[in-house]
Amino acid sequence: MVDWTEKYRPTTLSEVRGNDSARDDLKQWAETWDDHREAVIVHGSPGVGKTSAAHALANDMGWDAIELNASDTRTKDVIERVAGEAAKSGTLGGGTGGRKLVVMDEADNIHGNADRGGARAVTRLVKEATQPMVLIANDYYDMSNALRNACREIEFRDVGKRSIVPVLRDVCRREGITYEDAALSALAQKNAGDLRSAINDLQALAEEHEVLTEDDIVTGERDTTEGIFDFLDDVIKEKGAEESLYAAYDVDETPDDLLNWVEDNVPKDYSGAELADAYGFLVNADKWLGRVRATQDYSYWRYATDNVAAGVAAARREPKGGWTRYGPPSYWSKLGRTKGTRNTRDYVARKIAEQSGCSMATARREVMPFLAAMTHHCKPRELTVAMAAAYDLEEEHVAFVTGSGKDTNKVQDIVADAEASKAEAAVEHSGGAFAGQASVEDVDASESGDTGEDEGDDTDEDVFVDDEEADTKSDDAEDDDMQSGLDEFF
Amino acid sequence: MFKAIVSADTLRDTLDSVSVLVDECKIHLNDDGIEIRAVDPANVGMVDLTLSADAFESYEADGGLIGVDLSRLEDIAGMADAGQLVQLELDEETRKLHIQIEGLEYTLALIDPDSIRQEPDLPDLDLPAQVVVEGADIDRAVRAADMVSDHIALGVDAENERFYVDAEGDTDDVHLELEREDLIDLEAGDARSLFSLDYLKDMNKAFPKDAEVTLELGEEFPVKMHFDFAEGLGSVTFMLAPRIQSN
Repeated sequence: MVDWTEKYRPTTLSEVRGNDSARDDLKQWAETWDDHREAVIVHGSPGVGKTSAAHALANDMGWDAIELNASDTRTKDVIERVAGEAAKSGTLGGGTGGRKLVVMDEADNIHGNADRGGARAVTRLVKEATQPMVLIANDYYDMSNALRNACREIEFRDVGKRSIVPVLRDVCRREGITYEDAALSALAQKNAGDLRSAINDLQALAEEHEVLTEDDIVTGERDTTEGIFDFLDDVIKEKGAEESLYAAYDVDETPDDLLNWVEDNVPKDYSGAELADAYGFLVNADKWLGRVRATQDYSYWRYATDNVAAGVAAARREPKGGWTRYGPPSYWSKLGRTKGTRNTRDYVARKIAEQSGCSMATARREVMPFLAAMTHHCKPRELTVAMAAAYDLEEEHVAFVTGSGKDTNKVQDIVADAEASKAEAAVEHSGGAFAGQASVEDVDASESGDTGEDEGDDTDEDVFVDDEEADTKSDDAEDDDMQSGLDEFF
Repeated sequence: MFKAIVSADTLRDTLDSVSVLVDECKIHLNDDGIEIRAVDPANVGMVDLTLSADAFESYEADGGLIGVDLSRLEDIAGMADAGQLVQLELDEETRKLHIQIEGLEYTLALIDPDSIRQEPDLPDLDLPAQVVVEGADIDRAVRAADMVSDHIALGVDAENERFYVDAEGDTDDVHLELEREDLIDLEAGDARSLFSLDYLKDMNKAFPKDAEVTLELGEEFPVKMHFDFAEGLGSVTFMLAPRIQSN
């Protein structure tokens, strides 16, 4: 059985329905390609005829079409080898004067594991191409800025109901199907915007029915996803508990993220007692999420969603109106801002954990606060050097623990000294394995160095003990002073 | 109906010539021999191969068309030692190819020919220059060029009657010239085109090193490379579209 969307795929641009101006733009782009030599991005919703238009264009211009679509594996290598070679070569029939059209379908989807490095390869290719290229995408803004800037843009709009009906009528006539006008109209209405799915539905119906009547058109709708902002409007302003809950099912976010979104945005509209109630429900939701995490039983997610959606909607006491600027959860931007600091913290914790055989959590909670107090602002210096050497810390880590600036000479000197003492310790522990190679002088030098180091070590230990004692005595004051900045990370 | 016995070497040479460009191909089983024509996914390289029925120990066919996974078939052919015979038989009912190598039986599932990329039309090219060289000379030129660049220029200097190869890298260059006396034959005409070295390298793998290779060249036009195998009973023509010079 032939797919009707293939069978009736337009072979020339003039048969492409709807989107007349986009179609003309595309034709004009192709005809003037020799002058501007830019690639073009054709974008629009699924099923509006983007790929059909590209192939029809190649056909009209007498160009070969080379297509690379999502069913091919599109790694960097494949893109460079196939599309790259196609875009840089002439044709078999016409040499370097021959033209071909390189069609890259679903160009907004070149990422993820299978397409590793693919997106960047496409951008580079677009700039180097010596043949016309069409990139086809659903979402223009899913493509990188660099790629968008390197290309022209042509938007295909949804195909209107008035353009869909004549196409369906034409297909029916050619397939010899009897139909009621109202049936085609209903079909077009149901698939508003998407010509391809309208034709698919028509084919499915024609398999079952001799004559198409309006009653045959099932009014069931295709699943759609609800945007997060519409969902926020539903929950906070417009809908009741039950409807809000159903809305939550259509949002493509996890309960954790939903909770963050609602938590951050609900105080923009709620106030007083209703806000308190709303937060009560959010607290419940958070508890359920905690249970999910603890038990790994994801069936608890439903209770979190119940609280976030239905609970918050039910807490509303008076009607809300107007427009509110909802924003993404601040929790995310906070995570983003603190990423560097958290990485530093985790590095230090891991090193401590490795050295002392405790867990990273223990290192963070029970060792790092003491270290921070003991080496506050790099004093005493010897202890700080010993710490940096023992835990293999770089400037940023020393700065993190001591609270001194990372770029200061003080911190950099400490790290340099720590490096030196580590190197000496390594020589010392090599047990004279390299002695045969070293000259007598060298051995002398390293021996005297060793002695110095030993003494240094002794003092270090003394200081360490002293400091710990001192630390316990003046615990409160010190603690307060240095941990203000670190608190939230421990 | 298709039933044939062929030496493993001939079968391997046949498959290798095609597999440098595509993973799957259609094979026409004509009554006077087999024919394969394929173009690579980028529409840059093309192969046109015929193997006469006389190249087979025995051959019976009546004009069928099968689609095969080349790497599978190559693997199977690789199981045979040089000089061994491979027996091929098509089961029309199950659309499978039965392959026998000295008691080893292999049943290969075929691919629906409709699902394989369309076979290209043979472009009608009038190329002014023709050079006949030894396969080993091309091999030398390609290997030298590969050290410096990813593309290579092939040309004929009509006035001085010589065939030349140029490769310009970012820092280093390679140049090779063959005079009329170094060549097996030369039909001089001005020609120069740039080609992808990746493709030439792959095609070069298929050239028998001791065979004569006929190159047809033009000005900014595809190159045609022709050679015979299986003692002249098989023939292969590669075509390669030129690179466009970007400045």
